Amino acid sequence: MLRLTNLRKTYGELVAVDGVSLHVRRGEVFGLLGPNGAGKSTTIGMCVGLVRPDSGEVNVDGVGSPMRHEVRAHLGVAPQALAIYDDLTGFENLRLFGGLYGLRGSALEERVQRVLDLVGLLARGNDRAGGYSGGMKRRLNLAAALVHDPPLLLLDEPTAGVDPQSRNNILDTVRELSKAGRTVIYTTHYMEEAQRVCDRVGIIDKGRLLCVGTVDELVREHGGKSQLRIERGEKSERLETADPVREIARVLGDGGVTGVHIDRPDLESVFLTLTGRSLRD
Amino acid sequence: MGTIAGMSALWAIARTDLRILLRDKAAAFFTFVFPILFAMFFGFMFGGGGGERGKIEIAVVQQDKGPAAEAFVRDLGKTPEILVKKVETEAEAERLVRKGDVLASIVIPPTFQKGFDDLFSTGKGPVVAGVLDPSRKAEVGLLEGRLNELAFRTMAGTFQNAAGMKKQLAKVREAIAKAPDIENSRKILFGAALQNLDTILNDNEKRESEGKPTDLGGAMAEFRPVQLELKELARDRSGPTNAFEVSLPQGIVWGLMGCVTAFVATLAHDRQRGTLVRLLSAPVTRWQVIGGKALAGFLSCMLVQWVLILLFALLFKVHLREPMMLGLATVASAYAFVGVMMLLSVMGRSGEGSAGFGRAVILVMAMIGGGTIPIFFMPKFMQAVSSASPFKWAVLAIEGSLWRPMTGTEMLLPLGVLVGIGTVGLWIGGMMFRRSTMS
Ligand SMILES: Nc1ncnc2c1ncn2[C@@H]1O[C@H](COP(=O)(O)OP(=O)(O)OP(=O)(O)O)[C@@H](O)[C@H]1O
Ligand SMILES: [Mg+2]
Repeated sequence: MLRLTNLRKTYGELVAVDGVSLHVRRGEVFGLLGPNGAGKSTTIGMCVGLVRPDSGEVNVDGVGSPMRHEVRAHLGVAPQALAIYDDLTGFENLRLFGGLYGLRGSALEERVQRVLDLVGLLARGNDRAGGYSGGMKRRLNLAAALVHDPPLLLLDEPTAGVDPQSRNNILDTVRELSKAGRTVIYTTHYMEEAQRVCDRVGIIDKGRLLCVGTVDELVREHGGKSQLRIERGEKSERLETADPVREIARVLGDGGVTGVHIDRPDLESVFLTLTGRSLRD
Repeated sequence: MGTIAGMSALWAIARTDLRILLRDKAAAFFTFVFPILFAMFFGFMFGGGGGERGKIEIAVVQQDKGPAAEAFVRDLGKTPEILVKKVETEAEAERLVRKGDVLASIVIPPTFQKGFDDLFSTGKGPVVAGVLDPSRKAEVGLLEGRLNELAFRTMAGTFQNAAGMKKQLAKVREAIAKAPDIENSRKILFGAALQNLDTILNDNEKRESEGKPTDLGGAMAEFRPVQLELKELARDRSGPTNAFEVSLPQGIVWGLMGCVTAFVATLAHDRQRGTLVRLLSAPVTRWQVIGGKALAGFLSCMLVQWVLILLFALLFKVHLREPMMLGLATVASAYAFVGVMMLLSVMGRSGEGSAGFGRAVILVMAMIGGGTIPIFFMPKFMQAVSSASPFKWAVLAIEGSLWRPMTGTEMLLPLGVLVGIGTVGLWIGGMMFRRSTMS
């Protein structure tokens, strides 16, 4: 669906994206996980034709480079920076974006209604977007990417700065899109989100794509061992093990155990292993 | 993407910008309301409101000194809507019309009295010839009506003394008697009728001597005793005839300024808020985005110009002498200011910076370009300085189609400069815009 080959982008001395190659498959939700400044938005920018790569190329579904405007008709973009007009209503915003993708008349109206409903804003459709809450604006920003029903969606931190309610709505929407066969690229620095919605995840740091795989694969390969905390009365001891279940069975056999706590490795541990730093740094 | 889809994307962008402009109350105020108030204020200040307005000035050359002519001219002077300027020669009268000082000139010919005397026998009144300014047709209509009414009154005045009427009747009777193409039986009939009239008049003569005048008015309301022969005389347009013709272009300057400022601000805002980038990630070309923005700017410039023009034409009788030329002038101005918008919006890199910078530049240009002091009031060196301002050329083009004496060829200069500004602005602005959105 989308193939990135050896993408590189520098800003002066700074290497924002450094040799990224990636194949996003049709119908999957692909997570691009990385800390601030990792190069996620720059990568998305190159995928939608806004940022010209220094070298390497982007190919959308065999149709070509998104630098060509007609190729962009296949894409739907929700930028990280909210890109909606505060002075327009929700409906008007979506009519504008739908119009830019060639939708007109009743087809446009129907899609506008549909996506506004999908993101739970139908009741507020006639209000100016400027009066929306942060979470509602995010949802409208997402709806603008969906209005022309593109096969490939690029969502750049679609949950940035939103409340749990909007966040749930957005994550549910992404899952529904995936079920409907759309391909989604989803950037985030929240590993919980990546674990919850993404079929596969790529971890990016300092412009480099460090690894790609399903969450399980990544954890298995790079997550390291599980941490066990065994409590015996006042005392507690820590163990590292690759097979926590067997280890627990063994210590329980020793007797005197009052509590067991397992810390399984997750994407955070993967990141720590690969970079020596925490995702949140 | 096909042309149709391309145009519809362009229009979607243009419509959005227009909608945002009209929704922004402050922008709408400075673009529409303020310029109107400004131009009205200066129009009234320069004396457009009171004084002689509403009076029709005409030049009169009185070549007949007889009583009928004297009465006619005297009554003309007393008519509230008409201001009479007596002049000696026909040439002088025509000069005043050409200058636009008077609406029309009329000549009371030496045969005026005779024309009255022969009114009944010939059936035609005296001929009053003259020239008029064709650009003020509505007022000419009013003038003709007044002149006929007056001539009738003069005539009635002459005949009200029954003696004068009897003299007329005698002439008529004589004419009938001599007429070869009237049957004798009819002549007798007419004779009888006229005899009756004579009796009435004798009676009236008696009443008049007792101090009871006769009113013949009503019966002769449809009668046209004076034959007006007014020829059109194109006016030399050497200056505004109405203060609003001066303040209208000033208002337009402020209106255009409001448009430019608002659009530079929305573009800056667009860039700052990320909506511009969002537009560019849609399947549209950069030129379509620029085109959409430019179209919105163009339409709003046209709108503000014509709102002002039509309002002033309606309220303050600013006469649109050359509507085609005015149309051309407004199109050229709108085009020029779209170029200015483009250029200003790409000048500063940061959103707010470019808006602030744009505001300052445009304000100075408006002030030196005729927004504060009308250009033709400026001293020569200021007029030269003002040539650097696109507003000056817009004002010139508009004045050229309102009152400034400019031939078609002379109009080419401001129109050409405006088109040049627009083209250069769009081109450079467009290129810089393209570059600035390409990272
Ligand atoms: N237009 C630009 N000019 C200069 N430097 C830039 C530009 N865009 C991005 N960068 C730099 O490139 C690097 C990658 O930025 P990018 O926005 O892609 O990161 P990100 O992963 O999206 O981060 P975040 O999670 O904070 O959004 C950063 O160091 C950033 O400062
Ligand atoms: Mg980012």
